Amino acid sequence: MNIFLSALWAETLKARRSKVLWLTIGASLILPLIGGLFMIILKNPEQARNMGLISVKSQLVGGTADWPNYFDMLLQSIAMAGSILFAFIMAWVFGREFSDHTAKELLALPTPRVAIISAKFVLTAVWMSGLALMIFVIGLGVGAAVDIPGWSLELAWSSFGALMSVALLIFMLMPFVALFASAGRGYLPALGWALFSFVIAQILSLLGWGDWIPWSVPVMRSGMFGPSSIEQLGMHSYILTLVAFTLGVIATLSWWRSADQAK
Amino acid sequence: MDLAIETMGLSKSYGPVHAVENVNLRVRRGEIYGFLGLNGAGKTTTIRALLGMIRPTAGSVRVLGQPVGPHGRGPWRDVGHLVESPTAYPELTVRENLEIARRLYGIADRKATTQVVERLGIAPYVDRKAGTLSTGNFQRLGLARALLHEPELLILDEPANGLDPAGVVEIRELLENLAREKGVTVFMSSHILTEVNRLATRIGIIHKGRLIEELDAEKLDELRSQRLEIKVHDQAAAQAALGQAGYDVKASNGSLFLSGDRAISAPDEMATLLVHAGAPPIRLVVVQEELEAHFLRLTGENE
Repeated sequence: MNIFLSALWAETLKARRSKVLWLTIGASLILPLIGGLFMIILKNPEQARNMGLISVKSQLVGGTADWPNYFDMLLQSIAMAGSILFAFIMAWVFGREFSDHTAKELLALPTPRVAIISAKFVLTAVWMSGLALMIFVIGLGVGAAVDIPGWSLELAWSSFGALMSVALLIFMLMPFVALFASAGRGYLPALGWALFSFVIAQILSLLGWGDWIPWSVPVMRSGMFGPSSIEQLGMHSYILTLVAFTLGVIATLSWWRSADQAK
Repeated sequence: MDLAIETMGLSKSYGPVHAVENVNLRVRRGEIYGFLGLNGAGKTTTIRALLGMIRPTAGSVRVLGQPVGPHGRGPWRDVGHLVESPTAYPELTVRENLEIARRLYGIADRKATTQVVERLGIAPYVDRKAGTLSTGNFQRLGLARALLHEPELLILDEPANGLDPAGVVEIRELLENLAREKGVTVFMSSHILTEVNRLATRIGIIHKGRLIEELDAEKLDELRSQRLEIKVHDQAAAQAALGQAGYDVKASNGSLFLSGDRAISAPDEMATLLVHAGAPPIRLVVVQEELEAHFLRLTGENE
């Protein structure tokens, strides 16, 4: 356990000292703020037009300014923007070892490689949960400041549960990003994979196959394709996501176990 | 024999390129082993294989009595290394980089970091971000990382890279002391032959992936060829007289060179002979081949 804790300490220090941590916090803050801005506009469209917040010609669709709508907006934005943000974190945590040429220093150590890679996974899990939690808490503050109707503690709890489950579902797809960052020895293959899987997943969701594709599950769970998409998801969707997570973790650990500095 | 490093038939190929071929290294404990080779000779590939950073195509590696690899297996708690250029997390300070290494090497003593920065002369830069260090200090940071856990064996790839002349001397003395006082085995690759000449107790020469010579430093003195160098005003007369006396004479750069024991052991006879021939010597000296010349001759022969 001490070995693992040492590796986790090292990974945490690297993250704390990086600009990427602050960049991801900043990017996450934008989501509830944009949600709040939409609520202001929906609440007073005429006033927003007069203030120049929206074009005079624009026709706003998207429902009413209330807490259920606001929470839905947060949920969908985390499913979309969160996927990209989380992939960025994963690509950095694994890919930076190659861009800084420090990967070779992780190969001949008394601390097993598996402990170091597990520490990276735990760090990213904590990092991503922290961001999801922050988005929700800031979202609550923004919603309260905008003073939208329809609040209930029950709604807040269920929305919190939905948001954290979408964040968890996104995290479960991230080990493949780690694998691409490792085997591809840098950020680019990882980000390329993240973008590719994201686009393909959306297309397959629109074609009605999304419940069988783990990469479609978070967006469908967020209700972006309507309430029917949530109903379409079944136990098979979550099991397949779990399988994708397990395979990704095993493949990444295996790659590092036999990692070679040949190139 | 108590060996710190032993490779048996070590080979590594990258497709059709044989980077290292059938290398059998035997480094005894407490030795300072200088591993010489031209660029691309296979030095770094060999070092990577010693550290389990690459999988050999054939052969095996034992370090401190333990087999190396696969899956990172090896006695790494007792091995310090610096492979190719040093690396560090640029946004972390010198101290933070070393603290990471300290924890990953499982060293409980918190003072280890302070001690090693003082030993390597980077204490004034300890709170500076690694990314802002000069090349020389970055190299020192890499060496500090290798020495942090007081290893039994140091595997260093070009340890003097980027150091100024004072730094080169300082690191040489440090390595000498470690070997002499603590019995640390040092395996270092280098292309700075004078450094290896001064420091190494044993030398291995690798060329085109093959270990072409392995010898004790003392043996090198015997092996390096000796010649008698003569300078005269009338080179033609001197060359004719020496030729007549049965000496093997070669002229080069305005000097005459004579090889063989007969010439080297009796320079006084040579002087007499030249005076009688009307070509008295203005310079007469026994010259010994430097390691550099020996190395170049050896690698040239193996072309």
